[in-house]
Amino acid sequence: MELAEKRAGADSINAIRAIVGDERIRTAKADLYVYGFDAGMHCNIPDAVVRPRTAEEISQILKLANERNFAVVPRGAGTALCGHAIPIAGGVVLDLQGMNRIKEINPGDLLCVAEPGVVCDDLNAALKKYRFFIPGPASSEAATIGGMAATNASGDKALKYGAMRDYVLGMQAVMPTGEIVRFGTRTLKNASGYQMEKLFIGMEGTLGIITEITLKMAPLPEKTAACIAAFKELVEAGQTVSDIIAAPIFPAQLEIMSDICVKAVNKATGLGLPECGGFLLIACDGHPEQVKDEIRKVKEICEKNKAFFLDFTEDPKRIEELWKGRKQMLASLSVLKPEFSTIMLADDMAVPISKVPDAVKGFLEIQDKYDIYIPPYGHAGDGNLHTKVLLDTENPDHWHQAEKAVREIYDLVLRLGGTVTGEHGVAISKAEYFFIERADSIPFMRAIKRALDPNNILNPYKIFDWDKSFLHNLRYPVQLAGKEKAN
Amino acid sequence: MGEKYSDLEKLKNETLNCTMCGFCKNVCPVFLDVGWDTGSPRGRMTMAYGLITGELEPDDDLVNRIFQCTQCRDCWRRCPGKTKCPDVVLAARRELVRRGKTSASQMAVMQNIRNTGNIFADLEVEFPIQEGDAPLFIGCQHLSRTNSTKKNIRLLQSLGVSPRIVREVCCGFPLEVMGFEEEREKQVEKLKEAFPVNDNTILTFCPGCKVHLEKIFGREVRHVLQEINERLAPDKIAKPVNAKITYHDPCDLSRGAKTTKEPREILKKIGCEIIEMKHVKESSRCCGGGGGILTWDAAMSDRLGLARMEEAIATGAEMLVTACPTCEQSLKKAARAAADKSGAKPMPVYHIMDLLFRAVR
Ligand SMILES: Cc1cc2nc3c(=O)[nH]c(=O)nc-3n(C[C@H](O)[C@H](O)[C@H](O)COP(=O)(O)OP(=O)(O)OC[C@H]3O[C@@H](n4cnc5c(N)ncnc54)[C@H](O)[C@@H]3O)c2cc1C
Ligand code: SF4
Ligand code: SF4
Repeated sequence: MELAEKRAGADSINAIRAIVGDERIRTAKADLYVYGFDAGMHCNIPDAVVRPRTAEEISQILKLANERNFAVVPRGAGTALCGHAIPIAGGVVLDLQGMNRIKEINPGDLLCVAEPGVVCDDLNAALKKYRFFIPGPASSEAATIGGMAATNASGDKALKYGAMRDYVLGMQAVMPTGEIVRFGTRTLKNASGYQMEKLFIGMEGTLGIITEITLKMAPLPEKTAACIAAFKELVEAGQTVSDIIAAPIFPAQLEIMSDICVKAVNKATGLGLPECGGFLLIACDGHPEQVKDEIRKVKEICEKNKAFFLDFTEDPKRIEELWKGRKQMLASLSVLKPEFSTIMLADDMAVPISKVPDAVKGFLEIQDKYDIYIPPYGHAGDGNLHTKVLLDTENPDHWHQAEKAVREIYDLVLRLGGTVTGEHGVAISKAEYFFIERADSIPFMRAIKRALDPNNILNPYKIFDWDKSFLHNLRYPVQLAGKEKAN
Repeated sequence: MGEKYSDLEKLKNETLNCTMCGFCKNVCPVFLDVGWDTGSPRGRMTMAYGLITGELEPDDDLVNRIFQCTQCRDCWRRCPGKTKCPDVVLAARRELVRRGKTSASQMAVMQNIRNTGNIFADLEVEFPIQEGDAPLFIGCQHLSRTNSTKKNIRLLQSLGVSPRIVREVCCGFPLEVMGFEEEREKQVEKLKEAFPVNDNTILTFCPGCKVHLEKIFGREVRHVLQEINERLAPDKIAKPVNAKITYHDPCDLSRGAKTTKEPREILKKIGCEIIEMKHVKESSRCCGGGGGILTWDAAMSDRLGLARMEEAIATGAEMLVTACPTCEQSLKKAARAAADKSGAKPMPVYHIMDLLFRAVR
């Protein structure tokens, strides 16, 4: 799709100013610049940043955008990784972080209601008092629940606890054309027509702006225990994962690391994990008796698959330490190559659980062909694998190598029956490969977008409407021939 | 590349290695106050990057955001990649000051130090000069409180410390945080002349001075609390304080000097029961007085102080104790503001040395 700028001119900006007041609109260069970036690798500068407080204000802004043809990009904490919140056609960024009230916590109905700007960890801190939680992504200390719903965020507990789509019961949203509507219910079940609230999960800010969310809550487990196991060969670790799931046991967390990741974690954190070909970190949670039983079975399965090192702990401090080591993987990996930067590419593929070892081995073989670093690790329990590309951002050759390596990675993932993104979404940086994965369904996704947003004003040119490679609008100071900024 | 920012350029890799994860946002007192991403550490990293690449001009809005940082260093603590955001901010400030971007009130502080060697331009300072073994650096803030400083010195002596006190001059730390690099360098020379050191341990009363003096002398400088804790035997306590208190970790003492254990041990020894606030030790929150914010944006400084004071009040403690003269001052002001807001009595705020003096025989 031809990318046409959708800038907001001075008149439009003045009209928005009249809606929200001087204090909640910014057009200073520094503000525009900062809101031109998120946690991904792209950037583009908006014309204004606005912090709305109500659905009504948002509705008025969207109606204005339709009249005057400027783009509107909703934004939570700006932690999405694929260029989601980048105003790629210019226009207005709606910073929703100020809409951060928790409106209701209702244990009897197993739900809570909150505005979209509430940070996941803040919500969980409030829910903890009632012994409930919602499973968050690794970015839970920053990410907002609005952003999480719009990206179907999920974390390392997805195997047992699911993703954001499993928690959203209902929502209030403003449609691209300005109507304020309610989707879903306050009930755990509903069969009343199209599940519009689910359609909004993973829509990446392209179908509407969520202004209130009703979420189901999960009970906080009484007890957690963890087991770590080291194997000579990565395949043995992979087989263990499949055997655990087939048992069937659903651990709360089940993480796999290759040798290079174990080395990096040891180097960065001093955790002293045994050096090995494949490493598993397994946590079971729930009722104490059930946890005991599950951990016993997990240990047996590890032994059957020739684990040469097995350790088990119920000590919350040690469990926290182990997970901290795992959570710091990204930072740890950069220790291996301090002169390179970590780029969000090929960052969250998912494959069928049994294919995890094949995928990890394949990624390492691909890495060997290039000068860049692509160390794999991931949530083996749900088949979700992370790699991070480490490269010299000022070296055009590294970018071109990255482009080739990433294509090989995605080819492999699709051959194994997987998806190019298990967690983070598509937006800009994964669009090229998403086209291959979803070739047959894209026309229907597009039809929905055109029907709901006829003037294409809401977060335009993302997902199926981004038809260029990821090497455009890079936030890094590198000149790539023929890959100039899109506008 | 735009205009050459050679000082900032040296930290270009820091800005590139910032993964923009945003983990620093919700620990930054300024972001929590202003709400806009431009007020967050990540925002400041992005603006610094924009200056380096020449995509941003040092206009008033940018300058304001760069100076609206309390240098509390909590972003750096939280950063998974240990990216040095506070150092990037300081480098940006140096560049901005070189281009004449500062404020009248910060200029005034700089001139005070330049002209008088004292942050308050106090020419009447009474230096309790004395011979002794340990070079003791008192610091401008404590020098301005003659009575309590005399008591503090007596306390040290009663614990067997023999402090050597000279006619010192400002260590230059305020110049560093406000970005006056040339003046800082000159001040450091003046300091080295006025404050000769020997092989004995250097001591200081002030957390900020401790951090800066260590940089200057390239060796350990002890905060007096470290020394006191080692020497404070139970038989020294004549009148235990017996109070439920909450303790505010000064940023330069906790994240800067990694000294969180000693003040707590001392407080327990003198009979205090500590009720901890939500953000303590290495995760402590700024009092509103750090990084030049007091002179840059007094209203923000007040709001940050109030937020911290409300955390202290929420503990239900009888009083708030801290270990930094600037924190003490900011929090006393905040206690009055909180009282005005709620109608209750202001929470008493003490410097730990004052409690110690009362407790020790
Ligand atoms: C270090 C790190 C670790 C991460 N780990 C994970 C992980 O484990 N799992 C995972 O799933 N993701 C992960 N992410 C990605 C990211 O944090 C998630 O996608 C998160 O849900 C984004 O939330 P946000 O508030 O930052 O949204 P933003 O980045 O601000 O926005 C994301 C998208 O949602 C849209 N949006 C935001 N709010 C609304 C709203 N109210 N209405 C409509 N659209 C909206 C935006 O337009 C944009 O398209 C990680 C990111 C980082 C930096
Ligand atoms: S040093 Fe403190 S005030 Fe400054 S950016 Fe970091 S967290 Fe914010
Ligand atoms: S926590 Fe560190 S890496 Fe993350 S945005 Fe802040 S400075 Fe950058």
